[in-house]
Amino acid sequence: MNRYLKLVHMEVHRFRWVLAALMGLTAILQISSLLWIVKRELKLRAEQKLRDLVADSFSVPPPENLTFEWAMYNMQFWFILPILISISVLVVYILLIWYRDWLGRSTFIYRLLMLPSARCQLYWAKITAILLFVFVMISYQLALLSVEHFIFNLAVPADSREESHIVDAIKANPALNTLIPRRFEQFLYSYGLGTLAVLVIFTTLLFERSYRRVGILYGLLYLAGCSLVVFLAISTTTSGLRGYLYPGELFVIIIAVCIAVAIASIWLGLRLIKRKISV
Amino acid sequence: MIEVADIRKRYLLRQVLKGVSFTAEKGQITCLIGVNGAGKSTVLKAIMGLTPIGGGAIRIDGRPPGPDLYEKVTFVPDHLTMPAGMRLSEALTFMEDFYDSWNKERARDLMQFFSLEHSERIGSLSKGTAAKFNLLLGLGQDSNYILLDEPFSGIDLFSRETITEVFTSDLIDGRGVLLTTHEIGEMEHLIDKAVMLRDGIVTRSFDVEDMRSGEGKSVIDVMREVYRG
Repeated sequence: MNRYLKLVHMEVHRFRWVLAALMGLTAILQISSLLWIVKRELKLRAEQKLRDLVADSFSVPPPENLTFEWAMYNMQFWFILPILISISVLVVYILLIWYRDWLGRSTFIYRLLMLPSARCQLYWAKITAILLFVFVMISYQLALLSVEHFIFNLAVPADSREESHIVDAIKANPALNTLIPRRFEQFLYSYGLGTLAVLVIFTTLLFERSYRRVGILYGLLYLAGCSLVVFLAISTTTSGLRGYLYPGELFVIIIAVCIAVAIASIWLGLRLIKRKISV
Repeated sequence: MIEVADIRKRYLLRQVLKGVSFTAEKGQITCLIGVNGAGKSTVLKAIMGLTPIGGGAIRIDGRPPGPDLYEKVTFVPDHLTMPAGMRLSEALTFMEDFYDSWNKERARDLMQFFSLEHSERIGSLSKGTAAKFNLLLGLGQDSNYILLDEPFSGIDLFSRETITEVFTSDLIDGRGVLLTTHEIGEMEHLIDKAVMLRDGIVTRSFDVEDMRSGEGKSVIDVMREVYRG
């Protein structure tokens, strides 16, 4: 196994318990809220049915059957909460993935920088690990959705439910709708911009780790510059140039600007880690 | 040979190294001596590429340092460089995984020599035991040179004796050793060459044996001359 893969493995290994905890928390919160909301609705319906029977059973039409899509729509808060927690933890870890190597009594960064391989592998391993954690969590959410669908079918009697497709459930929940884009363009926007943000933050951190106090200023200036360039590219193409260019052309301009910022961030990051970083 | 030629280093407004030059030969123990803040650790970090230099040059066996440097030169800092949550056995596996020059058999022998437990966690090691394991990580590689930063700093007498024992053993034999210390006592009889550093410049550099036989002075005598004026 080459050293880059070994480094990726090491980064994943170091985060494994946090990842497992996030997965556990997501499963517990989502499944328990699903069961709670379904049971509550079934109970309400049973009570309503009883009341209708006592009054006049033929005057009120029977309620519609429950669907998984309905459950997804009605449990939004408890569904989104673990997703937001996971996103927050991953955002914090973008900083910690570097800083943890400098912290504590045993500063691991000495060892990492003294590995007999190109230092760029360290950079690539850390970015790969972050992207891997993101996509692992998304895949997990998709798998969990199938499990939740299965649990929904078990919890709701067949005569009270109607079959619905997972895609409809995803559409019904705004969080899932954003996390699991159905169009490639949307995927590029969401995950491309996310990856770009990680690259820019990495370069900002490496500025700080290379030049320390002055590096904070360099880093913040770099962060602000990149944010401004991307913001301007998105805002001018979606407002100012909208009447002059086709949507496809606007999309290409935004992508080109983002790629330029990404290349600049990677180049600077690799240069800093190779020549300027200090323990 | 490790050649350090006119290296300079600045931390903000403070010039830490003002043109340091010296050589450390293979098969010799070279000691970089200086009071706290003289720039000894910075020189070692600069050699290992752990801090950038503002000028000058560093050559290992005539070549500028590259990634292969870390197979040929080992650095043992004044603290452990493995995560606190790692077990000693995991740290050994890590070294074996990443370094082609890692000598598994020697590492196993050193674990026995230093009486270290494989299952212990790095974070729970005492200062003396951590220093021994740190030295093990350095000596476990089949490297040509070994750089040690304050190997006796803050450790007990018996741990010092065990570590001193290593310098007289075949574990060091044939390698070039460059170490820093401000406590020369234990090491004086072992070192071949002394390089004295003061305020970021080399004030004296001499062969210890020649100094002893020629001028009848020990390293400590020369230190008194240099540091007390």
